[in-house]
Amino acid sequence: MSAERLFSTFLFAFAVAALSLAGPARAADSDGTDAVAMKQIRSEIRQMREERKRDREVIRSLEIKVQQLETKDSKVQAGTQHLQNTDQRLKETTLELQQTNVQVKTLQTKVDAPIAPSQFASDFGRYLGSHTFQITGAAGFNFVYDQQSGALDGLHHATQNTFFFNFEPMFLYRPADWILFEGELEGSFGQAGTAVDLPLADFQITLNDYMMIVAGLFDQPFGDWYENQSPMWVNRFVSAPLPFGVEAVVPPSEIGLQLRGGLQWGDLGQDVDYTVWGGNGPNFSESVPGAAIGGPTAIASSLTNGKSIGARVRFYPLPLDEHLGRLELGASTYNGKWMNGHWFNSWGVDFNYFNGNLQMRGEWVQAYRQMPSNFSQDNRQGWYLQAGYFLNGLNVPGFPDKLNSYIHRLEPLVRYSGVNQHGVAIDDIHGATGVGVGGLQVGLIPDFGLSGSPALFAPHSREVALGLDYWVAPSIVWQNEFDIELPRAGGVFVSSTGASTPAGSIPNDHAFLTQFTVGF
Amino acid sequence: MRKLFITRKLFVTIVLAGVALGSLSRPVFAQAPSKEEKRRLILKGSKLWPVYCNQCHNARPPGEKAPYEWDQEIMHMRMLGNIPADDARALVEYLKTR
Repeated sequence: MSAERLFSTFLFAFAVAALSLAGPARAADSDGTDAVAMKQIRSEIRQMREERKRDREVIRSLEIKVQQLETKDSKVQAGTQHLQNTDQRLKETTLELQQTNVQVKTLQTKVDAPIAPSQFASDFGRYLGSHTFQITGAAGFNFVYDQQSGALDGLHHATQNTFFFNFEPMFLYRPADWILFEGELEGSFGQAGTAVDLPLADFQITLNDYMMIVAGLFDQPFGDWYENQSPMWVNRFVSAPLPFGVEAVVPPSEIGLQLRGGLQWGDLGQDVDYTVWGGNGPNFSESVPGAAIGGPTAIASSLTNGKSIGARVRFYPLPLDEHLGRLELGASTYNGKWMNGHWFNSWGVDFNYFNGNLQMRGEWVQAYRQMPSNFSQDNRQGWYLQAGYFLNGLNVPGFPDKLNSYIHRLEPLVRYSGVNQHGVAIDDIHGATGVGVGGLQVGLIPDFGLSGSPALFAPHSREVALGLDYWVAPSIVWQNEFDIELPRAGGVFVSSTGASTPAGSIPNDHAFLTQFTVGF
Repeated sequence: MRKLFITRKLFVTIVLAGVALGSLSRPVFAQAPSKEEKRRLILKGSKLWPVYCNQCHNARPPGEKAPYEWDQEIMHMRMLGNIPADDARALVEYLKTR
């Protein structure tokens, strides 16, 4: 047994003994002490009542505090809910901000990134708008030297030694993808002064893949020359071939309406196309045989009071992938009335062939003009054959590279052309009318692209033209042309009254023309 | 006189028929080609450009003019050469590649 247990047992025994001694002593004093006890009890009861009262007050105050705490708690709960709501909104706002940041970064990346060409083209297209406009055309400066070694019978002659300038701006306006307006003005400065002409003004309307309408003033769609070869930077020579010059066989222009189109009939490159048109008809300078023919005139005249119709087809037989070159075969007809129902009929065939450095072209044109009963029929025919060859494949041995690079830009050319007609109106030879029929001056005074040689007016004119072009760029060229006029004898000159005199012998002639042309 | 009357009627009939048919057909340049179609047109145009253009005049390099100008030029050239519509579209797309 431990010491602690022994000590506990001793304390317990001592207590029991003390209690057993106290009990008898209390019984002996009970009578005297009851009153005191009662008093003490009452006192204790009062104390208890007071304590109870204090307790109630304490309880009441506690209840008030509890109520206050409950009120505070509800407020705290409401505040907590509000805080939770605010927190939720903050989370949502944060998410939105994150998304916005991502979008901003994406946009920033796009802004910082270089613009793709396609995007730039699209943006630039929008900047330009859907209605587009441009000026194209050509300008040229030339010099003509014609010694006119001999005159026509009865006519003066003079040496020509003259500079010219010609400016032909063409306006293209495209208000929609199915319609285009083209208008061309021609301004020239020459020996006869400054002149302005309106060679072209028309609407081109695309109906579908196979049909287009052209309405207005246009180049005659007869043959290849007027429409496709007459622009000064396109024509390989300075001058026009004889059937399309001062002795034009068909009118150079027309005002009216065209319907045209083309389609592929075989392999790529094997095409066929058509043009049909009608207009105000041909116009002649006089009613006598040999009068110059021109396009429609704005002035009412008995020489052009009939309408006209025309048609042209072109055929391309060679497929592109066979690498045989491009061959075009064409046929045209143009018919109309002039002078109170007298017929003018014409037809022609043409070709051109292009293969590598070689290009060839030629046309044959025939016209019949019905005359008043006192004149014989006024028939005409004309032709030209032309060939050219680029020297860009030629490397002359021993020549320095620089010199060979100049040679590569050369294109030698040759052209033979002629016109046959029974008579030529003498007034057309005399006349110096400024810009005359179809923009070409009629008369022995030269004009831009025209030597003015008397030999051009011979009833049976012939010309060999030798050319040497130096191409600075595809549409910038310095052209040089040497003309050898070899008119045949025969035919007559016709006066304004219809009297004819034999043309006699017409002297040969030489002319030199040089021209710098820019197509733009 | 009778001959001219007939030919006039024939011409007017052809024009009116053309207008009627045209109103039923889709415009040539109305829609931008898809990516694949554009690729086909560009390849085709690269074959046509040195031949079709050079047949009449020296072919102008694509970079000489802005794309919107080629739209106009080829529309004009399509008329002059009566170029088939798909060939004209191919030339435009090729020339606009610059």
